[in-house]
Order: sequence, then structure tokens, then C-alpha cells
Amino acid sequence: MRRGTGFVEVGWEEALGYIADRLKSIRDRHGPDALAFFNSPRCSNEESYLLQKLARVVVGTNNIDHGTGAYCNNSIQVLDEMIGVPATTNSIGELDLSDVIVVDGVDLGLQLPTVGGVVIRAKLNGAKLIVIDSRRHRVAESADLFLQVHPGTESVLYGAMAKVIYDRGLRDLGFIRAHCREYGAFLARLQEYDLWSAAEECGVSPAQIEEAALIYARARRAALLYSTGMEARSRETIRAIVNLALLCGNIGKEGAGIYALAEQNNLQGVCDMGMLPDRFPGYRPVICDEARARFERLWGARLPSAPGQGAREVFGRNSGWNLKGLWLCRYDPVNTALFGDAAKVLDGMELVVVQHIFLTETARRAHVVLPTTAFGEERVSFTNTERRIQLAEKVLEPVHGLTPAWQQIARVAQLMGADWRYNDSSDVMEEIGAVVPFYSGASYENLARDYGRQWPCTKDRPLGTRFLFGEQGPARRFKFVPVPRATSRRAAMSQEYPFTLVLGHSLYYWHQNVLIRHSETLKREYRILLLDYPNGFVEINPEDAAMLGIKDGAQIRLCSSTGRAVSVARVTKEVRRGTVFVPYFVREVEWQMRGAGTGEQLIPVRIEKVKE
Amino acid sequence: MGVNGKTIVAAEDRGATRGAGPGPVENVYLPKLAVLDRVQDEIAEVKTFYWHFVDEVEQAKFRAFRPGQFAQVSLFGVGEFPASLPPSPTENELFFTVRSVGSCTAALHALKPGDVFGVRGPYGNGFPMEQYYGRNLVFVAGGIGLIPLRSCIVYAMAHRERYGRLQVFYGARTPSDLMYVRDLKAWEESAGLECHVTVDRPADGWKGNVGVVGSLLKKPEINVAVANSTAFVCGPPVMFRFAIKDLLQLGFAERDIVSTLERYMKCGVGKCGHCCIGVAYVCVDGPVFTYEQIKKLGEDI
Amino acid sequence: MKARLMRSEDLAKLVNAIRRRGYEVVAPFCNKGRDTYYDTVTDENIGRVRLHVANPYYPPKRFVLPPIERLLRVKRANGTYGIEATYEAPKRAIFGIRSCDVAGIYHLDRFYLGREFPDTYYARRRRELLLVNVVCTDAELDISDACFCVCTDTGPAARDHFDLQLMDLGAGELLVVAGTSAGEALFEEPIFTKATQEHVERRRQILSEVRKRFKTTTCWFSATVRYVSQGSVPEKTWEEIGNRCLECGGCTYVCPACTCFTVSDRPTGRDEIERVRIWDSCALGGFTRMAGGHNPRKSVHDRRNRRFFRKLAHYFIQRELSMACVGCGRCAAVCHGDVGMPSVVEMIRRAAALEDKIEPVPADGR
Repeated sequence: MRRGTGFVEVGWEEALGYIADRLKSIRDRHGPDALAFFNSPRCSNEESYLLQKLARVVVGTNNIDHGTGAYCNNSIQVLDEMIGVPATTNSIGELDLSDVIVVDGVDLGLQLPTVGGVVIRAKLNGAKLIVIDSRRHRVAESADLFLQVHPGTESVLYGAMAKVIYDRGLRDLGFIRAHCREYGAFLARLQEYDLWSAAEECGVSPAQIEEAALIYARARRAALLYSTGMEARSRETIRAIVNLALLCGNIGKEGAGIYALAEQNNLQGVCDMGMLPDRFPGYRPVICDEARARFERLWGARLPSAPGQGAREVFGRNSGWNLKGLWLCRYDPVNTALFGDAAKVLDGMELVVVQHIFLTETARRAHVVLPTTAFGEERVSFTNTERRIQLAEKVLEPVHGLTPAWQQIARVAQLMGADWRYNDSSDVMEEIGAVVPFYSGASYENLARDYGRQWPCTKDRPLGTRFLFGEQGPARRFKFVPVPRATSRRAAMSQEYPFTLVLGHSLYYWHQNVLIRHSETLKREYRILLLDYPNGFVEINPEDAAMLGIKDGAQIRLCSSTGRAVSVARVTKEVRRGTVFVPYFVREVEWQMRGAGTGEQLIPVRIEKVKE
Repeated sequence: MGVNGKTIVAAEDRGATRGAGPGPVENVYLPKLAVLDRVQDEIAEVKTFYWHFVDEVEQAKFRAFRPGQFAQVSLFGVGEFPASLPPSPTENELFFTVRSVGSCTAALHALKPGDVFGVRGPYGNGFPMEQYYGRNLVFVAGGIGLIPLRSCIVYAMAHRERYGRLQVFYGARTPSDLMYVRDLKAWEESAGLECHVTVDRPADGWKGNVGVVGSLLKKPEINVAVANSTAFVCGPPVMFRFAIKDLLQLGFAERDIVSTLERYMKCGVGKCGHCCIGVAYVCVDGPVFTYEQIKKLGEDI
Repeated sequence: MKARLMRSEDLAKLVNAIRRRGYEVVAPFCNKGRDTYYDTVTDENIGRVRLHVANPYYPPKRFVLPPIERLLRVKRANGTYGIEATYEAPKRAIFGIRSCDVAGIYHLDRFYLGREFPDTYYARRRRELLLVNVVCTDAELDISDACFCVCTDTGPAARDHFDLQLMDLGAGELLVVAGTSAGEALFEEPIFTKATQEHVERRRQILSEVRKRFKTTTCWFSATVRYVSQGSVPEKTWEEIGNRCLECGGCTYVCPACTCFTVSDRPTGRDEIERVRIWDSCALGGFTRMAGGHNPRKSVHDRRNRRFFRKLAHYFIQRELSMACVGCGRCAAVCHGDVGMPSVVEMIRRAAALEDKIEPVPADGR
């Protein structure tokens, strides 16, 4: 606990009692919405479920989010709206059976190498691989067709592909008639697209777009992969992706489908468990009266109906809003929240509670730090990107005195007057099963057999479900959503700012994960990037560099309408002409360029050589 | 778990591969304590550190090192790095000349006389100076490349009668980048050695040669000993390539050009794998290689 | 080498005999599917020790070369330092080590104990290690699709470098061969009976049958050694291989014959530090980077070239008098981009085939 400028070790009951008192006090004085509860997509299902329950039932707020909420919630909204289930529809293993695999905007080699491996092997076994990305990453080297599009133009590309498919009569009319609605509205908008203007805007040839469309449409089973991570797709792009899959009937059969890839181990689970400001566990919206009434019955308490504030609202630059207390479970926003100054926000809090395994930058600013168990030190479950709920066993004794995060949360709830009795994490899972219909069969006993179960895992389907929508369901359950042609996110380019600055990932530096600093070889790899480029770097295409007279290692200045930054050029052929790329860990460049903080991923810039 | 048994199986039963002899093998990773005596500034970021072993026995053993060898220097808590041995075994003091370029070298630079650190060595094959008896020796060095060659030059001068002509061709970017200026002055004035120095870019007051090191070799008034000569080359990669070209053009055979290679090293004893180039482990098969060997390593240097 | 016979139902008795002699015995245990792992044998789990299981993903090299090993402890006091070398050499037996992994340990022996600087940490652990090899005879359970020990001539039955070797002859009988006096000492146990020439014959028959049951038979392995040694693999092939490599380092961590490590100093208290060595991988970009910035092996295809050169070049086989690739197939099983040893051998073969120098025959047939 914080005493003066430092920390003192105290007993569990004292710490948890203090937290309970302070939570009650802040709630009573400022209202429940003065408190927010955020966790990390690495948290287990059990601790996520209990944290949102603490927030909703005991405190009375919907200010709940996971650390990457800002990025992945687009995918949840769109998939829920269009196909009714916000998750990957098929399984990773099924990619072996796909005829065509489309990888959109995710560097599988860096972010999901095991999936990348499955994709590469599928391609070696005869599948056709189409990669769509502004960056020529490693998996793109294996592609049969690589469309190096200008960043932000993906929705135009998919629209044009859909147009080609429609014009050539390759749409799956039977599927559309039986299972989809709003096709007419979609078609109306589709007429706004044409191959030639799309090609020009995207920066690829019309022949390539046409070929991609034909390959995708002619496949019997085609899978479409995109990521819900930091380089998140806009809602328009995801809508365009789903439209394409529906147009060709690529849902509800093996080897096809839409893969909304989760880049962290439990991003899917954390969302399933309702760590969202606007949805309950199981994704029913909080504003829906019927859903709320059901949870009020199950949990025995009145529940708040207004959607809460998420991490982006709280830590974003334009927050100025009445928050007094924060509970952060395994979340380190000072290091990882890229969209604002989390440190400043934390310093203004009356109460900051941090649960973590290391004393992170965030933890140093807390009032109470609750050390907790790491992977392997507790028996909990995680849900991966193919909806597979897996049980992680306890194989190590934690350091003496540590307790699992879920237990700490439950104890605080009890100290605040709630009658929560969970002897074991399996009890928590039992309740989850009662509350979330598609987890109803996922008891620990069931999960311990084989390699977990893919949800929906219910009493009727105890073995889980490999791919969704395989059986008969309600008629016309899928919905097209038209994407107007005008909404391309291509950064407004001009003579003055002819380049697009893109922010993205880097090898060996996953999400600023604090674990990297504790691994010798990873630390070495990461340190080298900093040694080679101590003030960060900006990646630029060799042809662009030659044109501007910039050599590798030279100092350059980036200028945008909102800011400027000086950095060092790193010339690489992976970057698309007309774009410059900055890896996420280079905070300074990012902050300087964002200026007033529009939160935009793509910024038009000008590049200048810095005179020596 | 794990009972420490008393039965130690005799080494000879297990064949020559298991344990070298019945007793424990000497620990090659163990650094010996050394004391810093004094520090001498050389050029920007480069200093010379004079030191001696705490244990006299270690000091005496170490004195048998050969020119071209190196030692592993430990800065406890920071790490270990390889440092060439610029003193000749004929000199009295032991020292390193080190540029501050990473965390370990920076830690060495922060030491004060009287501070204790660790050294183990000497390692590497070294220059076979006895094989060159009777030959002319031509030294071509650039920048801090003079550091490892200094050992050979001083050694040769200490055994002057064993060698033919001794020539030193040395260049640096600017006059303030010239290493070992006191030695250079002595060599220039010495009758037994022909020493020529140049800089790429002169500064005020520079009265000597201007131009890259290679230009010295081509000066009409300079007669480079080619026949019955061995050329020693050391310097930054670009200078190295051009110097090799110039020497080959002059007529040197590839096996008569010798150099010392640098690589990232962690163990210095041929086990960690970092310094391996093609078929050679630089720390045990080198760091001294002839140009003929360098070409056959199987990997670009 | 002396041979005896035992009954396969006496397996636990043999394990306990080794435990009674003071060894901590580790053996492969089954988890789910083909997932197996080495674990310590206890009274609780001894009933689950099996002869025929899939080879564990992680090779037994960690019993002689741990992933993290402390070398020294250094304490600062009175302006100087006290250096203490810290050794750990538990008396251990690996029960059920495969012939490929035996060859791996042998390669590590040659590398770490040979030449001018024998490694004392390795030597101490190795001296306390007893190897009980099990010959792979069950095509379903023992052999995986990725195994190719028949191509590297390191299996399915090791010819040497084990203490004891067990081979299933069928009908509940195991032929047991002693490779060292430590192994032979176990023949005192009452579970052993005399073996006859008939048993040796049965062994030969079974082995010649088993050799046909391997799926991956890259018989081009020795030709690849020649091509790599001569440096005649085209640059384009290395680029192709590099394009599929995701630079994860998996191949080096699961390889029984990979030896590289890095060394790091870490604080353990106010005035003490420890120096540890940790497995390192030449697949990673920073492996060769020097202070000052120069990295002689920066591109991924140069690093791939390096790996296969070190594994296959004849120079190294002669230097260590042992193979740096033991045909276990783990790199093939683990690699995301399918550029494990068998695939690379295949790619080199295809590249070499394209080098055919026959001139095209002119239209008039002359």
C-alpha cells in the first residue's frame, strides 16, 4: 500500500478492506460512475467475469473495458450486427481444408505465428493464398497474390471485389436467398464501386483486384482472416469483409468462414465474459431491457442500463470527466495505452488499485498493489481465437502469500457486503455456465478432457462446436450492411503531405509486454532495436528513399498538419511506396505526430532530410 | 528429488568423451581478479587501461601471451567483453586500449585506479611471429585498427635483428583520431622502422601526409617491401577491403597477408557460438587469419 | 557388448533398481494425444512408465545443458570481489532416451568436452548421467512422420554411447545391451536372464523391418552434405528458405544437438550478482550484432544459411567426429514455415536438379 512516497507491505485483509472501504466511499460521494474497472486481454475468464460482476452488481457501473477495447470492439459490433456471433466462425485446423485463404492486414509471422504456420503449410499443400496488406511482410512472400494496397483503402478494395463477383454472376444466390437479408440495400450501394477507380485509389492494378475476386468467388471453401488487434480495421472494412463472405456463401461450412483473429491469449474470453462497457457476459447489450432483466434475476441486483466509458474515453486526451477511482487487473496503461497520457490520468485519481505480477510503471502510481499469480500458478480457463475454452492447470506453487486475482476480487465484493461464495475457480466457471448460454456445458470436468472445447459448448453439445452455422438455424439470420463508396479512410493526401504515416507492429516486441524485459534473448533483441535506433526509427521504402536522397540511418523530419517529429530512417523493401511506417514502441514519434490526439491510425505527412 | 550419489563412474569406462580425466576439469569461465593501475586518454572515447592481476602467479602465467591474442574482461554485474592485447610480451606493463561503445566498455571507462575487475585469458591463436623470422614486415593500419597491431610492431622492434625491413603505414580520419601518438613519434624517429602516417582530412597545424592509407602505399618515393614480406592489415571494414586490394595489386600473395578479425563474443573459448564465421570460431581458430584463410571460411566477414 | 534378456513386465523393477542406486530417474510420460514430456519417476507415477511412447518435444539436452544455468556467484566486499563457481550435478538417469537423442548427447559431449577448453559445468553433469536407451520398434507409437534417423544413421537403434539399451523383441521379451560398465553393473539384478543367438537374430530382423516404416526418407541427406560443404547451394534457394522462416528460433530450442548460449550478469542482492548462461539461437537477428552496430549476419536468409551450414558441412562433422543433425525431426514438427531439415534437404535437392547441364538438342537432331 502507498504510504507517503513509497510502498509498505501490509496483510491481505487490511489491503482488501481498505479497497472495499474506498470503493464504497467514492461510490457514495460521487456515484458509481466515478469508478472504472479495466483489465487486460491476458486475464483469465474467471477473473474477468468476477471483475465485471463486481463493477455491475456491487458498485453499479458499466465503466468496464479490456485494455485493447479501443481496437477490437469494432469487430464485435460489426460481427454481432451482421452474423449474430462476434467470434471467428471456423477453426484454425480447418485452414488445411480451405481452397483459398485471404489474409487481410495482419502480419501473421509476427502476431500469430502458429496460425501463420498453418497458413503457410496450407499454401504448400495447394491452397491459394491471397495477402492484402500495405506492408510486404514475411507471409506475403508466400502469397500467390499479394495486393499491396494503400493503407486505409481496404473497404474500397473489398467493394470492388464484390462488384466484380456480382458482375460475373459468381455470387451464391441460393445461400443469399436462404440466409441473408438486406441484400437489396447492399446491391444498391455496390453500384457505386467500379474496378478502375478502386484500383487507382488502392494503388494496385485492376487485373489484380479482378483476379483476387475471381479466385475467392470460385473457391468451394474460402477463408478470410483479419485481426482485431492494434492495427484494427475500421467498421467499414469489417463490414465489407463480411459482405464478401456472405456474397459467396462462405459461412457455415468447413474450411470457409471469417476469422476475427484475437492477438492475445484471452481476448476472446475477456469479451465473452462481458468486460465491455455496453455488453453483458454473452454479448447481450446492457441497454436491452429484456437482457438486463435476465441478469438482474440471475445476479439478484438492480443493474445500470447506460453503457459505460471504456479505456479510450478514460485515458484519451479529451477525458476531463468525473472519474475518481480505477481498478486495473494485469493492465499497464502507462506503457500500453497509446492514445493518451495514462500517467496523468492516474495521478488525478483518489484510488488506483493494481493487480499484477510485476511492479509496472502503472503499479508504481497505484494506491494499492495486489501481487497475484502468473500462468501455471492457478487453475483457470482461457478462450482462444477459435473459441476454444481451455483449462490451464496449476503446476507450480506461487510464491508464499500470493492469491489468485479472482479470489482477491471476490473477497473485496464480500467485504462490500455481497454474498459471494466461490471455494474454487471451478465454482466460478459453473456460474459462468449458468449465465452465458454458449458456455453452459463448459465445466472444468469437460474442459479437462482432450484439448478444451470450442463454444458453443452446451449440455446438448458437450463436445463443443467446430464451426458455426453448420446446422439449420433461423431463416435469414445474416445481414448485409452496405458500405458507401465515399467512406474510404485513405488519409487525405495532398501535395503538401504526400506520404501516409502508418503505425504498426515490430518483431520481438509484442504489445510492450512486460514479460519481454524478463527474458534474456528477447531483451537482447529488443535492446538492439533501441541501440541501432536510440531515438526510434521510421521505415521507408527504398525507392522513396532514393527519390528523396535519404540513406539508411539518416536523420529525417516528419511533418503533419498537427505535429512534427525528428527520427532516423530505416530503409526496407517491406514498406509500401508512399507510406512510412513507425513501430508502436516508438512512443515519442507517435505522440509528436498525433498532436491534439485525433486517434487516427493514418496520418498524412511530409518527409524532409535533416541537414547535418 | 535428486539424491547425490557417491558412486562416480571412472572416466576411462566412459571413453575419452566423458570428462577429461578422473578429477574435475579446470573451470575456463572463471575470471581472475585484476586491479586497475592507471588510465591514459588516447582519442575521443578511447582510453588505455593499465592493470595487473591480484594474484602474482596469474600475472606470471599471463605474461606468456603472444601478439594478436585477446582476453575476456569482466565488469561484474554488467558483463564480459573481449579486448585485444596491445602490449607486446616484451614490455613490462599489461594494458588494454578500449573504445566506449556498449554497456560493458562504458562500465570499464567508469572505473578508477584501484578498482577491481576480472580478466581471463589469453585466448586466440595470435600472430606466429617466429614464422616470420627473416622476412620483411609491412603493417597497414587504419584508425583504432592500430591497437592489435601495436603488439606485433613493438615485438618486432624488440627482436629487430630477426626481421628484415619493418614498415608501418597508418592512417586515421583526422589528426585527433590518430592512436598511440607517443609511439608513432618514437617509431617515426626510429632508425630501425619506416613509419608513415596520413590523415584523410587535415586540421590546422598538420604538416604530414594527407590521404587514405592506401595512398601511402602508392607514393612514388615509398618503396613497399613486397618480396619475402608479410603484410599485417587491421582497420574498419571499408579500409580493410581497399587495403587488401592495394596489397594484392602490389604483388602480395594471399597467404602472406594476415589480419585479425573481430566478432561478438561471449565465452572466448569456442563454445557459445556467437563468433563463428563459416567454418571458423574466431576465438579459438583465430582471431588471426591469413587472407587466403578468410576467403575460404565459407561466409562473408 | 554384453546382452541379457528381461521380461517387459519387469520394466518397473528395472526402473526401481536404478533408483535404488541413487539416481533420480526421468522418463517420458504421456499427457494427451502425442504430447509427452520428461518427468521424474516417483512411487506414484511409476506405474505409468511405458516403453513405447512418442518422443517428447523437448530434447533431453537440458539435463546436461540447462536452458538457464548459473556459472558464478560474485559478491562485492571491501573494494574487491569474491568469485564462486556454482556447480550442480544431480545424479540422474534418463530412462527411455531415444537413439537419436543419444546421438545428440554424444554430439554435445564431443563439442563441450573436446578440443582445448573442456567445459567443466557440462563435464560434471555428464559424469552423473546414466543413459538407458530404448530402441524405436513400434511404428505407431515410437516413430513420428517427421523422424528421419535412418538418413542420418543415428537410429532406430544406437550402436554406442549409451549405458544400457532396451529393445522390444515382442512376446513380452526385451533384449538388454550394456554399453558401459555402469550399465553392466545393473546385470546383477535378478530380473535378467541369459540371451541367446536366436534373440540377437530376432533383433536384426526387427530392425530391418522397422527401417522400412519411416515416412520421411530423405535419402538425399548425404548428397546435401556434399552440396552444402562445397558451397554450391544457389543463393536463390537460401532466399526461398528465408522467405518462409518466421524467425521464431524454435528449431534451435528443440534441437538435441544445438549448443549456442549467451551469458548474462544479473543482480541477486545488494552487493551480489550471478553470471548465468542461457540458450541462444542463431535464428535471431541479434545473435551476431556487435557493439557499435555492425551485424555481419543480418538478413534472415544468411541466418538460415548459417544454420544448415553448421548442421551439414563436412568440416564440422570432421571437427567433432559426430553429426550435428540426429534425424529426430523435431525442427520439422515445430517449424511454422516448414523449413525444418527434411524440407530444406528437399529444396536443395530440387535446386541441384535444376543445375543439370545437358545442352538442348537442336531441331535437326544433330
